[in-house]
Amino acid sequence: MATGTRTGRSRFTLIFLLLSSATLLTLDAREFEPLQRTEETLSDLISPLRTGADRVFEPVGDAWAGVTGYDELEAENEALRQELQMLEGQRILDTDAAIRLELLLDELGLPYVQDIPNVVGEVVTANVGNFDRYSVQINRGSDDGIRNGMPVVTRGGLIGRIDGDPGRGHSRVTLLTDPGFEVGVLVVGTDDVALASGGGHGEPLMVTKGLEIDTEVAVGHEVVTSGVDRSRYPPGIPIGIVTEIDYDEARLLQLLTVEPSANTDNLSFVTVLLYDPLAEES
Amino acid sequence: MNTANAYVRSALFLLTALVLHMALFSDLRVLGVAPEVPLAIAITAGLVGGPERGAMAGFLIGLGIDLYLPTLFGLSALIYTVWGYTVGLIEERIFRSAWWINVLVTAAATAGGLLVYAVLGELLGEANLYTDRLYVVMGVAAAYNLVLSLPLLGMWRWSWPRLLGEER
Repeated sequence: MATGTRTGRSRFTLIFLLLSSATLLTLDAREFEPLQRTEETLSDLISPLRTGADRVFEPVGDAWAGVTGYDELEAENEALRQELQMLEGQRILDTDAAIRLELLLDELGLPYVQDIPNVVGEVVTANVGNFDRYSVQINRGSDDGIRNGMPVVTRGGLIGRIDGDPGRGHSRVTLLTDPGFEVGVLVVGTDDVALASGGGHGEPLMVTKGLEIDTEVAVGHEVVTSGVDRSRYPPGIPIGIVTEIDYDEARLLQLLTVEPSANTDNLSFVTVLLYDPLAEES
Repeated sequence: MNTANAYVRSALFLLTALVLHMALFSDLRVLGVAPEVPLAIAITAGLVGGPERGAMAGFLIGLGIDLYLPTLFGLSALIYTVWGYTVGLIEERIFRSAWWINVLVTAAATAGGLLVYAVLGELLGEANLYTDRLYVVMGVAAAYNLVLSLPLLGMWRWSWPRLLGEER
């Protein structure tokens, strides 16, 4: 009898919890604001505990990464050394190019990336699950002026955008490697605006839409954000370098493979550009 | 120890496990895969406390981790609830388990839970869940949870000692 009662109660509990989960799923899919505010509040409540624990366990995580990724670190160091040498030579050219780009954007009435107000945030958690490889959490949020969709950069270029409404002191960044990530791009030296999308973890970006077959593009050309009308991204943020060109004869388009200029692995600090295209327009 | 005390212990355990998962375990990756502590919490709760407590623990830890995942809020809660309940039911009906069976069940249920998560998530419109990498995630996470199951089973017994004694 007691077992029967217990089974009945546990079934009732299961149904109640399943209905609650389904309700939350539905409300979240419909972007129900009170639920999103509750999520932010709960997340803000747990954040201090999490930040404290992060500080305590950071050396453990670093040691683990050092042990399990030693070969990768060595290869990465070597690549960075070569990159540094190349960048040193590029620096002088870049300074000149930056001045010219700023003048051009000024003429066109478009904002220059370096003039846009920004907030530097620390990456507090790379990702907490095994299915969220394309997002990171930073310790800056709505109190710092961050809003949904704002571009996130490092010195290397665009790394992603703010995803969803941020909490007061934290926000989530979707990385540009996410296969669902799309950004309007311009191959420097051409007038064609195209659409680039993420290619997955450790994979290059792909430009599959918008670049006509007769546009002159070569391997090694730089790709930047186009910043066309109402784009979420200001123009001129570096995206990467063209590494491969293919042709879609049926659609008369060029398909580009673009190696991102910014590294999205092992991020420590990122910069959120407080860029609102609608405000800029008005 | 009264029931309220058991609930306080359980809540403390869940909160600690959630914070530890985010601050420590999510960084301990092998082949890019971290232990699935929240799923292991739901499974071990079902194994120790039966279907009802498995479902409740799964729901709560699922809600906690959903706060930090880019997927729909409630997806983990839904799946962990079902999984905690199912494992608890199987344990109750089929095998009143020896400790080593519980350990193996945790590993197998982790792999199964991840598969269900990926399939259901894709059905609900989430991208990048059912990929070629899923089977690597299932294998590594199952191995990790095999190791973690013993301390987790012990922690649940610590949380509910009197309640479990009364029911047996």
